[in-house]
Formats: sequence, C-alpha cells, structure tokens
Amino acid sequence: MKKSLALLLALALVVSMCSFAIATEAKTYSFEIVSKGFQSTYWQAVLKGSTSQAKLINDEAGYEKVKFNFVGPDSESDIASQVNMFESAVNAKPDAIGLAALDVNALNANIAAAQEAGIPIIGFDSGVPNAPEGAVLANASTNNYVAGQVVAENLYAKIKDRIAAASAPVRIGEINQDATSESITNRGLGFIDKFIELAGADGYKVAVIGNEKYVTDSKGEKVAESEANIIIEARVPAQTTAELCATEAGVVLSQADTLAIFGSNQTAAEGIITANEILGVCGSDDTQIIAVGFDSGTVIKAAVTAGTMYGAVTQSPVGIGERLIDMLLAAASGEAVEDTDTGCAFYTAANIASEEISQNLYD
Amino acid sequence: MTRVTGKSILKAIGTQRLVIIGVLIVLFAFFSIASESFRRYTTLITMSSYMYYIMLMSIGVTFQLLAGGVDLSIGTGVICYSIVGSFIIRQMGMPIGVAMLVTIGMGVAIGFFNGVIVAKLELPPFITTLCSMMIVRGLGSILTGGMSGVWPMAGQDGSWFRDLFKVTIDGTIYPVGMLLIIILVTIMSLVLNHTRVGRYILAIGSNKEALKLSGVNAARWHIMAYVISGFFAGLAAIAYAGTFSNITPGTGAGLELDAIGGAIIGGTAMTGGSGSIIGTFLGVCLISLLKTGLPYIGLQANWQQIITGAIIITAVTIDMARNRRQRAG
Repeated sequence: MKKSLALLLALALVVSMCSFAIATEAKTYSFEIVSKGFQSTYWQAVLKGSTSQAKLINDEAGYEKVKFNFVGPDSESDIASQVNMFESAVNAKPDAIGLAALDVNALNANIAAAQEAGIPIIGFDSGVPNAPEGAVLANASTNNYVAGQVVAENLYAKIKDRIAAASAPVRIGEINQDATSESITNRGLGFIDKFIELAGADGYKVAVIGNEKYVTDSKGEKVAESEANIIIEARVPAQTTAELCATEAGVVLSQADTLAIFGSNQTAAEGIITANEILGVCGSDDTQIIAVGFDSGTVIKAAVTAGTMYGAVTQSPVGIGERLIDMLLAAASGEAVEDTDTGCAFYTAANIASEEISQNLYD
Repeated sequence: MTRVTGKSILKAIGTQRLVIIGVLIVLFAFFSIASESFRRYTTLITMSSYMYYIMLMSIGVTFQLLAGGVDLSIGTGVICYSIVGSFIIRQMGMPIGVAMLVTIGMGVAIGFFNGVIVAKLELPPFITTLCSMMIVRGLGSILTGGMSGVWPMAGQDGSWFRDLFKVTIDGTIYPVGMLLIIILVTIMSLVLNHTRVGRYILAIGSNKEALKLSGVNAARWHIMAYVISGFFAGLAAIAYAGTFSNITPGTGAGLELDAIGGAIIGGTAMTGGSGSIIGTFLGVCLISLLKTGLPYIGLQANWQQIITGAIIITAVTIDMARNRRQRAG
C-alpha cells in the first residue's frame, strides 16, 4: 500500500513537472510596440522587420511564441497621442514594451508606471533618452549622432573645393523636422559638429544660426555670423508636416549663398525635394546646390538615382524591427540585453543598387 | 444709365475685400523689402504651388459655411482621396485619368454622406464632419494597407496632371494653375449669385425654416452644399498630389483650418447666409502669403502660427461686429 502510494505520488510529480515544462515551453510572449507613427514609410519598414522576425521565431518554436501589437500616432508631432498609446500599452500588461519616444519628458510618468509594474522596456530608433534609471534596459537603434557625422563627412568631401574657391561666406542649410526627439537632434548636431571639425581643420570659421536648440547645443567655438566663412542655418518647422518642411527648405534654397542643404529625416529630405521642384537649384554638379538626405522612400530614391539629391544616409529599419523583437524576447525571458547599434551607410547614385545598400532601402 | 465711378467700383468690391487687398499689398511690400530672397519670381511660384489645394478646399467649404455649417473632414479627406488615387495608379496599374475620377468621386461620396447626416438626420455639422474626419483619416490607410501615396513624378507615365498646375518652358516655370483657379472662382461665383443652388444655399444659411415653409425642398439643396465641398476636396487632393512628392496616410488634420480661415477672412459669415467666392480667394491669398513670407524674415516657426491665428481671430471679430451692426441697424 505504502509502495503503491509512493509510486502514485511520484507519478503525479512527474506528470505535473512535465505539464509545467510544456506550459513554460508553450508560453506566448506578448509585446506592445509604440513607435513614432506612420508618417514615413520608414516605420512601415520597421514593422516589416518585426513581423518577419516574429514569424521566424514562431516557425522555429512550432507555435505562436511571440505576438505583438505595433502602434503609433498619425503624426510625429502628436506627442499627446503617443502618451495615450503608451499608457494603453502599459495597461495591457504585456511581457515587454518597445518604445521610440517622441518626447521623453511627456512619457516619464507612464515609464515609471511600467517600471513599477515590472514591465521591461526596450528602446528603438531614437529610443528613450534620459529615461528614469533602470526603466529602459537597452536600445536597438542607429547611432544617430554618428549617422549625422557620416553625412557631414561625405558632404564636406563633395563641396570643400567650392568652399575654398568661394569669395564670400557660404551657407549650408539643415532642415530638422523637430528639436525634441533624440534621433533628429542627434543627427542634426552630429552633422553640425562634424562639419565644424572638418572645416575648422582647413582653417574656416563656422557660425551656426537658426533654431536655438541646434545653435546652443552644437560643439565647437561659437562664431558670429559676420565673422564666419561658413554659415550653417538650422531650421525647424512649427509642425512635422510635408508642407512646412518644404517651406523651410524653400527659404534656404532661395538664398544666393547656399551651397548645400541637409534634411535630417525622410520628411525633411522630401521637403527639400518638393521645394526644389519649384526652384530647380539642386543637383550633383559644381554649379548646383548639393542636397543630402536621410532614410529612403520612393521619392528620395528617385532623387538620388537622378542626381537631384546627391546622396542620403540609410539606416537599417528592417534590422531595427528584427533586433527589437529579439531584445524584447530576451528581456521578457529575464536574459541580459545590451544596446545594439544597427548601423548606417551613405548612398549615392553610384552605389544605390549595391546589395549592401539596397537591402535597407524601402518604398 | 448708372455711371461707373471710382466710388461705385469700390462699393462693388466691398469694404472687407478692400481691406484684404490693402493688407496683401502692404505685406507683400514688407516681405520684399525685408528679404532679398523673397523678391524672386520663384517665390510667386512657391506661393501659388502651396496655395492650390488650400484654395480648392476653401472654395468648396465656403458653400457649407454659407449654409450655416462647416466641414472638418476636408483636411484628412484630401490626404485619403489622394492616397487612394495613388494606390489605383501604382498598385492597380490603372491610368491616371481613372485615378483622378475616383479621387474626385470619393470626395463627392463623403460630401454626400455628410450632407445626408446633416440635412436629413439634422445632426450638427460640427459633430458630423468631425466624425467623418476621423473615419476618412483611417479609411485611406485601410484601403491602401497603410502605404504612402506617390503620384507619377516628372518624366513618368501619367505625370501630365502636374502640367495642370505648372509648366516649364525654356527653364522658366509658369503657374498655370492660377488660371484654373481664376476660372473656378468665376464659375463658382456665378453659381453662388446667379443660380438656384446658390440662392437656396444662401437662404439655408439665412433662415432654413423660412425656406422650408416657402415649399422648397431645403434638405436637397443643403446636401448639395456638402456635395460641392466634397467635389472640391477631391480636386484639392489632386492638387496636393501635384505639389507634394509623398502623401502620408493618417495626416491632413489641420489643413481644413487654413481653408476655413481663408473663407472667413474673405468675409464669409460663420453664421451663414453671407459671403463670396472672391472674398474666399482673397482670404486664401492672404493666408498663403503669410505662410510663404513669414519664414523669409527669419521668424521662428511658432511665431508664424501665432501671427496667422491672430489675423484669423481679427477677421472673425470684424465679421461678428459687422453682423451686430447690421442687426442693430
């Protein structure tokens, strides 16, 4: 009797352990991903990467191991909408949250709530800079400051002879869709700082004018506009709309001393292209304004291929989406996660069709 | 025979419109003096290019304002209809003519929907069109799978539609779209002032009950005001696609404010029953001049919005003061 009872208990223990193992293995991880929105096809590429990576994981696991809900506001200036979406994401009690913050300060309270609820947060794209300590475990993103520097390096190489030959100060325009998000400000400042460094090494004085954020936070010696050889004019529209970006770009392109212009994201770069359709001043020749952009999309790709836009930096939005799912799964499983730099590359008409570049471009 | 004198011409133009013309001249002169870059021919091309879609929306929404209503759905509608048109061209491979017809057709359909809700079910226009604004905002994304819209670019098949707005001859751009606008302003002025539909829409805005009591099917003409607005929103969608390279789904909210603001600045009464298409034309010209010119004088972007808002509120105040005077007199 005692032996039978012992055998029965042992059997029950084994069965329950197996059930537990099966339940653990069959756990479905649910993630909420709050992006900056769908204002550009860039975010659709991120979604594509996340979708394909989730499918890969689920196919390998043989069941739906990972599922996610990808949301974002209609416009990247709609901070209030993103705050509401993030609050809903926290209330959904997911296993982890992915976040690309439009304005970290606006989200601080909800981030604290997620931390209290024990929900790990992974940042992506611009991530969540200056978040409460320990709230964001890691980021899957481009190093935007470095990306801005890459643009400056390629642009300076293209126009330095024209700067040397100029008899009067020249202007470099920079169109940034905002002065609040980490990605845009870092790209803008990375561009400005690198340009100042390169031009300074050749003996030029560079003044930064325009939007206060970019003027104040740029490194390097502060030079007055009247004393400068090169003037970098940083402009930010009131809202992140195509119309306003095009208007700001048009003002810069209309200036007689403008030599080059940089749009620090897809919307700003498309604004430059729109303004140029009226003004017809951009191109790749030494007599034209050299325009450089960021990301891709049908319009930018066509402009780069045609030479209207000299070049642009591409991130790896698909790669960001893929790495995000991996990092969310690791965070939800209690594994250690680290920042992942998903990289960037400068492309022109010469290399746009290469495999390295084309796999990251999207329509 | 009535003598045509300077005084009679000024009276025909109207005080408010004269004020707008005067402000336009002064502002244009100010921007030209303050900014060398503004003093270029290309500035006029820029201003006209960014004005077309607002002007078309504004002409249409004037009819609703005259009927005592408003249409908040035209902004998101322009984006939705434009994206659907792009989808028809790029994903379905249809000719651009078909896309243009569908774009306009969607505008008419949504306008009809708004009109039926307001005129037959008698829901307030503000709520009705606020709801249709939200519906339309999502509709474009759903119909196209969230894809951005790109109409044929210069050099591609179907890019001829851009020639409706500007043509380049020997390197010089000509804003032929302004001719189209002037023709439409003329036609719609005649419609408003010399046709039954115009007279009834004005009467609805003045006193809908009296119109009903006189035996007129007021609901039919009320719906017509919304159909006209939807039709022009469809045209504006084509103009928007002709100006901007990329059309992003889910955007457009706020475009209607420029259109409505232009009509109000031009003298269209918010309470309905009074206004003109020529006034709308001048009002939109003023808003476009501000949007184009203010960035040239180095004003930070947010100040531009403050100034534009202040001008619209001044125009509304003048309109309300004028109405009070008329009622008292």
